Amino acid sequence: MSAVRWLVKCGAVAVILLIACGLATARFGSGLQMPATTTRDGTLITLSRYLREPVPDVVLVGSSLTFRLKEEYFATPRLRNLALAGGSPVTGLEIIANQPQLPRLILVEANVLGRPTDTALVERYSRGDTEPLFFRPVRAAVAAYEQRLHAPLSHEQALLNLRRLLEQPPSDFDSRIHAERALQRLDAEDPANETRINTKRIEELIRTVEQRGARVLLFELPYPEPIEGSRFTRTTREIVHSAFPDARRWLRIDVNRDELRWADGIHLDERSAVMVTQALERELASVGSGSE
Amino acid sequence: MTFTSWQFGVFAVIVFGAYYLPPLRPFQVQWLVLASLFFYGYGQPELLALLAVAVFGTYLFLVLALRNRKTWLPAGIAFNLALLAFFKYKFLFIDPASPSLVDFAPVDFLLKLPLPIGISFFVFHNISLLVDLTRQKTAPPTLTGVFLYIIFFPQLVAGPITRAEMFMPQIKPKYFVDIPLVDAAKWIIAGFFFKLYVANNLNEMTSYMSFPLYETLQTQDRWLLVFLYSYQIYADFFGYSAIAIGLGLLFGYRLPINFDLPYISASFSEFWTRWHISLSTWLRTYLYIPLGGNRHGAWRTYLNLMIVMGLGGLWHGAGLSYLMWGLLHGLFLVLERPLLARLASIDSPMFRAGRMILVFVCVTMLWIFFKLPNFDHAVGYLAGMFTPSTNPNPTKLFYSLALLYSLPVIIQHFASGSLLEKKLQRFEPYLYGSMVALMYLEAGPETSFIYFQF
Repeated sequence: MSAVRWLVKCGAVAVILLIACGLATARFGSGLQMPATTTRDGTLITLSRYLREPVPDVVLVGSSLTFRLKEEYFATPRLRNLALAGGSPVTGLEIIANQPQLPRLILVEANVLGRPTDTALVERYSRGDTEPLFFRPVRAAVAAYEQRLHAPLSHEQALLNLRRLLEQPPSDFDSRIHAERALQRLDAEDPANETRINTKRIEELIRTVEQRGARVLLFELPYPEPIEGSRFTRTTREIVHSAFPDARRWLRIDVNRDELRWADGIHLDERSAVMVTQALERELASVGSGSE
Repeated sequence: MTFTSWQFGVFAVIVFGAYYLPPLRPFQVQWLVLASLFFYGYGQPELLALLAVAVFGTYLFLVLALRNRKTWLPAGIAFNLALLAFFKYKFLFIDPASPSLVDFAPVDFLLKLPLPIGISFFVFHNISLLVDLTRQKTAPPTLTGVFLYIIFFPQLVAGPITRAEMFMPQIKPKYFVDIPLVDAAKWIIAGFFFKLYVANNLNEMTSYMSFPLYETLQTQDRWLLVFLYSYQIYADFFGYSAIAIGLGLLFGYRLPINFDLPYISASFSEFWTRWHISLSTWLRTYLYIPLGGNRHGAWRTYLNLMIVMGLGGLWHGAGLSYLMWGLLHGLFLVLERPLLARLASIDSPMFRAGRMILVFVCVTMLWIFFKLPNFDHAVGYLAGMFTPSTNPNPTKLFYSLALLYSLPVIIQHFASGSLLEKKLQRFEPYLYGSMVALMYLEAGPETSFIYFQF
């Protein structure tokens, strides 16, 4: 076979497969939720889903701490968790603020404000440029397989599991070494500059979205005792509370701390995340912004 | 400039397009040298000066050594090893974050320079040039020829390490009609496919092997990730080498094959004739044999093996993990050496399969020291593979994805040379076309080639 014929055949097959995949994407592209193998993957999936589906009533934005509060833990209908693992709450808030329609209530986590906004992500999701031209065939096949095996649970379906989880005693997993490492890291970090910038941006965004009819409340997730006293936590708290001194701007999370556990010294474990979720919902009901 | 960037695509098309134009034919070598300088200096022009020092210095020592080998050859080798040692091992003794290391600004600048990309590879080229050409006692080659051999862009950053006696005779006018187009296309497609589809996707999963992320893994997932890393590092480095060989062919140069299905090796000595062949050949030619090889009895042979593998480990980086990786490979080579003849005499496919599995598992376990250059982290990871995990929130890995992304490596190792492969030969263009589509559609997130750091 001549070299030219070989190359033509090779190129033709590549083009045919690309066209087939492009057509399949146009037809089925948004139907499958691709599996996330990294936090970045998970972020893209969460944001794409937010833009694709009808605007919810309540939205949470935050970091990996809030990411642990899974949507199926909430009884509140039409609630979305846009917390980005490894990201800043400001990124989620910016994306929401750039959409034509806003949710009624936006809850902003104020624990981690020392990270810069992901401007590339904000730009991409503000343009509405969420669907790729071609989907990934291997990931799509695995997504279909995973959805068939493990369809996502609704709150009602998950309720039984949640009850069972809450009936169990708190985990006895020893996370002291992780907490010590986290404390060392958080004591070494000075988040003051970035936190001031982010807090100012949150103030601006709150003004913008509240002028458009949405309501914004802030909340802080509990840390283990040593982390509460770290330099990072103290600095962040000082800056954000002096910027938002009005107690009505804050949702208080009233939960028995003795029952809480942090799997890696900083992130809530599953049982604790469910307890915190329930405390958050009680508070939402008391401020009259929960399910209606 | 990395092979997988669009900038490299544009660069390669321009260089190739001009290379065979008749008016440029007398200047093909100069054109490639110019292109290689642009390639190396792109994004880090300050390192061009270092490259110039290395090439001009080596050329000077070569000319002197051709007159007096005994004096100038060791001096030339020492010059190159000093360059390598300075850049590779200086951070063992200094903290680059310090505002000022010494009062003299040029030295301070040099001390703070990061590891120049490809230095480990071009220093080995330089030594090969000095040894091979002074052994042959030929007339000194042209300076542009020396430049091309050392900095030829397909092999500059991560090999294959080409021996001077193989490369230098290939420097002559090249014609478009002589290009083995299909062979070049096959190498380039296979290289990009293994890098983009296999290595970059597996990298997403093996990133969980880093400290402290690995502490969130279940015990069985630690095992899985070690095997995935084994496939990833092969796909990454095979991919780079294949692209380099394909590009070399496009410009009329045959670079040495660097991998020959290493994971089907039935012994450690066989593994080192199949993995990073150009490095093991270099180490054998320029280190193991000059040390005495196997010519001075069993114990001296064992010592030589340990020295060569230990230094081979340290060549990858200044760290206890790399040294341990090299020494353990050396130890395996020493332990199997007295048994090799007896093992080879057992003619049983099952027995050979058992040996292949054993070698593969051992080689794979040793990659932990490669993935985690911090020795304590490597030991921590290894220990966790033998203790049950108690983490209530372990990281979730998709086993189906892991299998699908590893499959090309597995198929390549077990289908190559089989009857099936021969029968499927007429479908070859379609297979490569599918690989092109798949590497575009299913490419994992961009990551640099693993061997760029060495």
